[in-house]
Amino acid sequence: MRVRDHIARALIRLYPAEFRDEYAGEMEQLVRDQSRAGGAWRWAELIVDIARTAPREHGFVLMNDLRYAVRMIARSPLFSAAVILTVALTIGATTAIFSVVNAVLLQPLPFDHPKRLVQVNEKNDKLKLPNFSASVLNYLSWKEQTRTLDLAAFGFASYSLSGEGEPEQFTGSPIAAALLQVLGLSPLQGRGFAAADERRGAERIAMISAGLWKRRFGADRSVVGRSITLNGESHTIVGIAPPALAVLTGGDIWTPMTIDPGREHRLNHVINVVGRLRPGASVAQAQKEMDAIAVRVGEQYPEVRDWGINILTFYRAFVNPQLETALVVLLCAVVCVLLIACANIANLLLARSAVRQKEIAVRTALGASRSRLLRQLLVESVTLSAVGGVAGTACALWSVPLINRVLPPNLLPIPEIAVDRIVLLFAATTTVATGVLFGMAPSWRAARVDLNAALKQSGRSAASGPRGRVRNLLAAAELGLATVLLIAAALLIQTLYRLQRTALGFEPKGVLTFQLAPATTKYPLDSKAPQFYRALIDSLQAIPGVRGAAVSSGIPFGAGNYTSTPMTPIGPSALPPETGVSIDWRIVMPGYFRTMGVPLLRGRDFTDADRSQDAPVVIVSAAMAERFWGKADPIGRSLHQVADQLPFTVIGVVGDVKNTALNREAPAVYLSAARRVWPLMDVVVRSDRDATAILPGVRDAVRRLDPQLPLATVRTMEDWLANSAAQPRLNAQLLGIFAAVALLIAAIGIYGVLAYSVTQRTREIGLRMALGAPRRRVLRLVIGEGMTVGGCGIAAGLVAAAALGRTLSSLVFGVQVHDLATYSGVAAVLAIVALAACALPARRAALVDPIVALREE
Amino acid sequence: MRNLPVPALHILLAVSDRERHGYAIMQDVAARTGGKVRLGPGTLYGSIKRLLEDGLIDEHDGRDPDADVRRRYYKITRQGRKVAMEETARLSALLRHARAVGLVPKTV
Repeated sequence: MRVRDHIARALIRLYPAEFRDEYAGEMEQLVRDQSRAGGAWRWAELIVDIARTAPREHGFVLMNDLRYAVRMIARSPLFSAAVILTVALTIGATTAIFSVVNAVLLQPLPFDHPKRLVQVNEKNDKLKLPNFSASVLNYLSWKEQTRTLDLAAFGFASYSLSGEGEPEQFTGSPIAAALLQVLGLSPLQGRGFAAADERRGAERIAMISAGLWKRRFGADRSVVGRSITLNGESHTIVGIAPPALAVLTGGDIWTPMTIDPGREHRLNHVINVVGRLRPGASVAQAQKEMDAIAVRVGEQYPEVRDWGINILTFYRAFVNPQLETALVVLLCAVVCVLLIACANIANLLLARSAVRQKEIAVRTALGASRSRLLRQLLVESVTLSAVGGVAGTACALWSVPLINRVLPPNLLPIPEIAVDRIVLLFAATTTVATGVLFGMAPSWRAARVDLNAALKQSGRSAASGPRGRVRNLLAAAELGLATVLLIAAALLIQTLYRLQRTALGFEPKGVLTFQLAPATTKYPLDSKAPQFYRALIDSLQAIPGVRGAAVSSGIPFGAGNYTSTPMTPIGPSALPPETGVSIDWRIVMPGYFRTMGVPLLRGRDFTDADRSQDAPVVIVSAAMAERFWGKADPIGRSLHQVADQLPFTVIGVVGDVKNTALNREAPAVYLSAARRVWPLMDVVVRSDRDATAILPGVRDAVRRLDPQLPLATVRTMEDWLANSAAQPRLNAQLLGIFAAVALLIAAIGIYGVLAYSVTQRTREIGLRMALGAPRRRVLRLVIGEGMTVGGCGIAAGLVAAAALGRTLSSLVFGVQVHDLATYSGVAAVLAIVALAACALPARRAALVDPIVALREE
Repeated sequence: MRNLPVPALHILLAVSDRERHGYAIMQDVAARTGGKVRLGPGTLYGSIKRLLEDGLIDEHDGRDPDADVRRRYYKITRQGRKVAMEETARLSALLRHARAVGLVPKTV
């Protein structure tokens, strides 16, 4: 044979087997005839011909398989519906979770070349502050000295918008003019800020968010250039900010950041600094350069010598490791459910393939090849999974807007989850993989059916032997996966429970909270503003049902100011000398502790008389007192900020309050707000009525004092608490649902295996009973078989969970990841479920009538 | 009924007067079109398969005394003849319309 013939033969192998069976010989003959006649094929011609027609022939075969598959699926509608429903639910859930993972972890952040963006934080190793905001003066020094980064900064501010319509309160940021450019963003309408806008005395201007533009100004383009009143002063709107800006800074209003170096303090950490790596610079280079800059600045200004610089990539700045872990765990969990469902469907198909043995044997006898049968059966299972997958993807598409709606805001670092091509590709791939996965074992088995045995229709050999092993293995795997899921869910549910049971240190019931930001031009912070709040507290307390009202710079879990600063004791203390400790500090008005239900342990509360500027007084938390002075009485002792030397004298000790997060203990210091307040303050009102019932009275009280002043962020304390536990709650709920579904499917799985095995062994059982085996022993036989499978699965699951436990450690609070009680509890629950699943088939086996069973064959 | 693909019509023409095997069909088509249409093996047997399935041709082991017994021979069926005529009628009508608007080269 010539080389050409060999090549032709190889090319012809590209056609499907059915076609080759018919025509391969003819086609080879044709090529030979042609070359013998001298008119040899040009290779290009031959290859084009085959490349064009071979896929078409495959298409025809596939269409045939598909038609056959659809017929087979329609023939057993109940079975098919069960499979499709299972696939739809699991693929839907998997895709929905994946869309969140995709949006948060895989999609680039909405800035230009986000990988080149970094957050430049200050750090203080002595105070264990790895990431702290920056001071304005340090920022200016960095900006002057760096060669690797283009820097910009933003601060935090609140703006009350008045003039047209109801006055409203917004948060926002003063931003460096360069910020938009550093982020690679441009305004939706109008312009951003220019360097000239940062100068003192420049015209007051602002950008507003697209949301505010649409809601308050009806998306009217002429709003650019219009004048609005912010904090009592007229500002011109110059642009509509790009939505991505709020991803970084939050808020709805931005104004240019005007820096007056003379009024700044190098230890006053009030801004966030971001930077874009200049071309060619790497994060490591930038970090090295900034380290050197920090040393130089420290030498020049000794007060900041303990402060270094930590560069954080934007990804790390936005996606905290805990959220990353939570999302990965949820995705793994839902894939776990998918695998369990696959194993279960595979088992169902295996059972059915026994029923279809005859059909398959007949087709084999009629000349269908094994590979042909294998493909036919795989097409069938992939068709099933495709129908389910499409339904599931539709479910996911429908659920994503729902997820966007129900997810608490600020849980994810992105404005919205979207379904994109990657999500759809994931759904499609998962669907096909699912079909292949659950179809593989059954198809492989079926295609290797023993022709003789099957045609003789003695299905006796089916239950034991290799097929029984595969089925047992699948059922055990289901239980194993369910064990892992159940343990994870149990740990996270306990975490949620513990979080909700942690001592808050205050009484959240019946407390209404809101924020106020009286314009500082009208209410100077150290004169009229404190007077305003005192008057407000008086009129709030006059409302019927109100038990107390007070003001703080930041209530626990609220949206107020989360301030912490390093402090150090003066005189003898429990700390090594010269040690600073990072302390949460808040300013509060008299009556705050009583209103919040925080116990006063020693000394006294603030009074309106505590307004001395030179000899300020503080109240400390119990943990803070112990940290600084051990068991000694803290009253009368004093402390100062590391940043300056002004001494504060302790006049009281209050109970510890979870001020920032449920799982974080933080020592706290309270300063008197009687002398000076902050631009934005939290107001708390305790009443013995429903919060909504007193709200109108509260609004009235504020309006009577200042009709232009809006109430912002009106919530109950319980809303704030729910919000703070949102992520653990979501973790626990989702994993709980997944685990419950997994348990159910696994139980059905083990039931299916046993029920099938009992049916197959009816004759054997009948024989045993005819030979005198008591029912009890038959019962034990069947249950023993089921529980062996179950026990193996559960044991494997426990081992796997123990191995994977570490992953969960950052999500778990108040319970050990290898908690023995949880492990044994889950094992017990699964054993009971497995036993229950065994009970029905076992009962049926025990009720086998030996005479009927033996007559059957 | 869907339009007959061009290779299929060529094959029907080749087996309309006598039965031929694959290679002979290919040669006949090439000869009649002056070598312009060369049916590759995939196109040829793909079309034959469809024509057989649609019952437009049938297959013999070679009835002629000089036939090669190893080869499969094909001949047009009554149905095939009907379909071929319908197709050529459709094509000539098309040609007439084209000629009426002067869209046909002089040499045809």
